[in-house]
Amino acid sequence: MAATRRLQKELGDIRNSGLKSFRDIQVDETNILTWQGLIVPDSPPYNRGAFKIEINFPAEYPFKPPKISFKTKIYHPNIDEKGQVCLPIISAENWKPATKTDQVIQALVALVNDPEPEHPLRADLAEEYLKDKKKFTKNAEEYTKKHSEKRPAD
Amino acid sequence: MLRFFISFFSSLFQMMIHILTTKKHIIQNVLSIYIKTTGGNISIDIDPKCDVSHIKKMVAPQIGLQPEELKVIFAGKELGDDIIIEECDLGQQSILHVVKIKPGNVQSKISASSTPNSKTLMPLCESLDDLMFSASSGSRTASISIGNETSTSDSLLDEIEVVANNEKSKPKKVHFYVYCPTCKKLTQGKLRVRCHFCKSGAFTVHSDPQNWSHVLESKQITGTCENDSEFCENILQNKEPTFAEFYFKCSEHISLGENDQAVPLDLIRPNLRQLQCLACFEITETIFSFPCEDDHVTCLDCFEAYCKAKLSDRQFWQHPEYGYTLACPSGCANSFIKEIHHFRLLDDEHYERYHRFATEEFVLQSGGLLCPQPGCGMGILADPECIRITCQNCKYVFCRNCLQGYHIGSCDPPEIQETSGTSGDCGTELNCDNRNGAGDDASRTTIKVITKPCPSCKTPTERDGGCMHMVCTRAGCQFHWCWVCQTEWTRECMGDHWFG
Repeated sequence: MAATRRLQKELGDIRNSGLKSFRDIQVDETNILTWQGLIVPDSPPYNRGAFKIEINFPAEYPFKPPKISFKTKIYHPNIDEKGQVCLPIISAENWKPATKTDQVIQALVALVNDPEPEHPLRADLAEEYLKDKKKFTKNAEEYTKKHSEKRPAD
Repeated sequence: MLRFFISFFSSLFQMMIHILTTKKHIIQNVLSIYIKTTGGNISIDIDPKCDVSHIKKMVAPQIGLQPEELKVIFAGKELGDDIIIEECDLGQQSILHVVKIKPGNVQSKISASSTPNSKTLMPLCESLDDLMFSASSGSRTASISIGNETSTSDSLLDEIEVVANNEKSKPKKVHFYVYCPTCKKLTQGKLRVRCHFCKSGAFTVHSDPQNWSHVLESKQITGTCENDSEFCENILQNKEPTFAEFYFKCSEHISLGENDQAVPLDLIRPNLRQLQCLACFEITETIFSFPCEDDHVTCLDCFEAYCKAKLSDRQFWQHPEYGYTLACPSGCANSFIKEIHHFRLLDDEHYERYHRFATEEFVLQSGGLLCPQPGCGMGILADPECIRITCQNCKYVFCRNCLQGYHIGSCDPPEIQETSGTSGDCGTELNCDNRNGAGDDASRTTIKVITKPCPSCKTPTERDGGCMHMVCTRAGCQFHWCWVCQTEWTRECMGDHWFG
């Protein structure tokens, strides 16, 4: 199966690359189509915590894009309460089979670090981000402290 | 006495062994071929190790000529006297053409056009190499066909280098892949040549084809029809030269005659440049090379996986010229697969589905309808003004506009039913394809409740999250519309109710 062969290769590469912003990758031996890992942002206000995500690859991968969802609650204009995220690189129109998962993760980390209020999923947070950045940062920081995972030691 | 018997039996035994082995020897080494002459067909058995002059000697007395008066033609070339038959890619039941040399013109033409070295006197399928034929993009093929050394592109030079490194000796013999309707699978093909006009195989080319377009498109390579050159030249009133026509045979089964042909799958090629599959990143021996400028390739397994993924979403494209086809998975411009026989690589079940979808898509694009009755799906071409449609196959009578049972008055307006949850990817949707028979009443009701029709193509669409900006995923539609207004997506929708 194309998906399995490709994902085994990608998983090996990502684990070997030692990405600082995406750690603790957990994949069930029996199902390589679901990955879990920890996003570790380095920009405030999200650099106080880490965020668990799940990547679901369809059986038709890489001819169909993976789906990403946040398992940790996050105060972010582009990520909704259910953990769904709008990431152009994995949208049906933009997806290219040659796009690698590490590129997707890097795009995701960039979006977390640097929100795009022009294309929000949560209009209320986008408005706050644009109109009162200070208030937004404060709220996001508190939310991160309260809900996020512990950052890895190193 | 006893000794005599022993020696008698042992010699008898040896003789038997000898006979058995020689018989086996003979069976393995006889090639039964046909010789086609102007006088008719001759069937001969030859030793594959013999050369062309031997064949001339065998055939000449049967047609009342001298061996020196004959020429032997195969796959577009006159074979040199010292060519060994087994080097010519001849199979059992192959056909060689033997014609009488005409004094004067033809002979001089050949000797003038090329110095006769052994390569020019080999059949085309043996003398061509993979190098030229693996050049995929249009620009590169063009630079090769010009044949001008100064215009040779860098990538071609790279290719030559790679090949030179891989194989020090000589370029690989050309590989052609075909879909064989007899073996019902992908096989290696053998290139054959015949006259474009009289279809006779007694035809010699003036120059070798240099790329796929020379082979696939008609009237690219000129040649001499040795069957009845006057007849073929007269067709053109001597204004144009006679042209070669190329075709393919399967190399895996014994030829069933001149009409036993196979479809060339020109995008399947040997992986000379060690390109990586864009999907699984592996480097395989044989690749599917997409007709795009970036030279994207997949392995054959991933090509099949790609077709299946696209088929399950009904995302093939009805191309006005090529038919129901796909483009490069990376979405490169102008990269549609021209030869739809490539989809024969799908297994029977998926190929059957491909065929059905292609037919349905054709009917729809021609302004037709598909019967909505479960299990029917008959294609119907009805008068555009006709609203009350009767299926000729299952006799179901339905309304053209809503595809429900025929009714008097306007169609039921689609119910406004919000699905809960409003977030997710922009414009994600699921299409429920019911043009093919929508199941029973319960599923019909469900579809009615959870979907809204695309304002453009009427495909019932479910919104499974995200914003109100919908993009129809049906190939050929891709209409941008608003889930709330059920009209085309506008700036007003974006400002007013983008997220509900």
